[in-house]
Amino acid sequence: MSTEAQKLLVFLHVAVKQRAFQGELQSALPGIDVTAVGRIGDFDRSLQDHPDAVLTLPLVLAARGIGATLHGRRQGAQDEVYALVGADSMPDPAKIQSVGALDLLGRDGTDSFVNRVLGARPKVERVTKVEDLLPLLQMQRVDAILLAARFVTELKKASRLSLFQRDLATKVELPAAATLSAGGPQILGALSRLPAQLSAAMGVDEWR
Amino acid sequence: MALTRREFLYALPAGASLVACATTTRDAARATTYRESVTGNTASKEGTVLVCMPDTSQTRQVWTGLSDDLGKHYRLVALHADARESGAAIAEGMRRHRPSGIVLMNNPTVAAYRALQKSSPQTVFPPAVIVMTSFLDGHSQHLLAATGISYEVPLITVVTNLRKLIVGPIERVGVVLRPALSGFVQRQAALARREQITVFEEQVDPRPNASDLKRALRKLKQHVDALWILNDDRMLTPQLIMEGWIPGLNERPWSPAIVGAASLVSPGQSFGTFAVLPDHTALGSQAANLLFDIADNGWVLPQDSVIQPPLSTTTTVDLVQAKERFELRADALQKVDRVLE
Repeated sequence: MSTEAQKLLVFLHVAVKQRAFQGELQSALPGIDVTAVGRIGDFDRSLQDHPDAVLTLPLVLAARGIGATLHGRRQGAQDEVYALVGADSMPDPAKIQSVGALDLLGRDGTDSFVNRVLGARPKVERVTKVEDLLPLLQMQRVDAILLAARFVTELKKASRLSLFQRDLATKVELPAAATLSAGGPQILGALSRLPAQLSAAMGVDEWR
Repeated sequence: MALTRREFLYALPAGASLVACATTTRDAARATTYRESVTGNTASKEGTVLVCMPDTSQTRQVWTGLSDDLGKHYRLVALHADARESGAAIAEGMRRHRPSGIVLMNNPTVAAYRALQKSSPQTVFPPAVIVMTSFLDGHSQHLLAATGISYEVPLITVVTNLRKLIVGPIERVGVVLRPALSGFVQRQAALARREQITVFEEQVDPRPNASDLKRALRKLKQHVDALWILNDDRMLTPQLIMEGWIPGLNERPWSPAIVGAASLVSPGQSFGTFAVLPDHTALGSQAANLLFDIADNGWVLPQDSVIQPPLSTTTTVDLVQAKERFELRADALQKVDRVLE
């Protein structure tokens, strides 16, 4: 009798293509069927396939009524700094009229998230990939972009724009995992033993 | 429209968590077929969006992006727009659903809508968002209450992507073009200067031959870091590709050639090194954002509305050519969507 592989659904924004990210996760998690998506719509559809575990940001888990069991940490902290990045001048959260941000929860949810982190209510332009934030600045579609501070180095490597970074006071929780079925705990055990470089791609140096 | 047969189908289309209702209606007298699928928030009082689309894999991806975002708020009607019957189908769709907004996908659909507007000067048309239409900047001027997203990936985005792939300064970009596209290239060059990219043009005859093309390529390749090949049908005829482009690109010195169509990147052909195309699902999301802006403005096109360039792209690399001729960055393959070898 064959045993079906356990299924892990991942919804995280990373600096590499989802194809490459899924491949690396799959290699690091033999025996587990990994699906990595970059859009909340694809995440919601994939949830209907009944994965055994999910890995995403806690705010996404909370929005879907799922409780996290395994939390990512970096340097002992369960959350990380987000940054506001502008071209040519230092952005001021209180003054910007428009901001680019990764789409975490669709229009309303992402607007609320941005408002909470910025403490202000600019117009939000949502994108679905980290690499799509830079075009918003290049084409002057927004006054600034909002992203996890760990992505800024890569952003600066990709552009010759004069970029200014302001770290924000409100932090955001690092990725976390949740079990959705009896097979979930085994997946979470495997996640906690991921290679350091792969965890680092998610902003994490320890899983607990 | 006389009915000869009506079928109801229930399906779960991409992008919708609600059951969709699909209708096919044939008008025997006019030999036309009307096909629609209603989905999204069918009970919505916030409005109906009519999406006029031919049935291709790319339009279905755009539909996914659109419906994922809009489906929670609005009733969505996907209207099958076949080139021959588009005008009649759109008119029927507008009559049935009185949409608050319209999405038009591809050149023939836009042309049909333009003809419809011209034939009905007394009709008040809802605001329209246009996608998947070539060189849109000119087209939207001929439609009432329309905005959209151009289909050409901006040069600044194309070069930013190439720089992630290939070692070495990519600062000077050459383009061979017909005079008709000079204005387009100049606008792209102006934007590209923000990333310290300089464009070198070689204009050819409005009806170039292969020798003109090869001559232009030889001249450019002496002093550029990359070549940007425009999606100009008249420059990409089979004869020009076989007798002009391919021989010209395969002479030393080699320059990476960036193209805008996936079919032009093929290890067997050695034409494009790298293709950068709009990400169609993200294009749908971007169009949804435009519609949200219009809805927030009371379903009236905002006065400051402008044609947007596509923000998100997918990339394909001819790895055989790239490895043979250029030095790839260590993490290059993690930054590309499709690798052909």
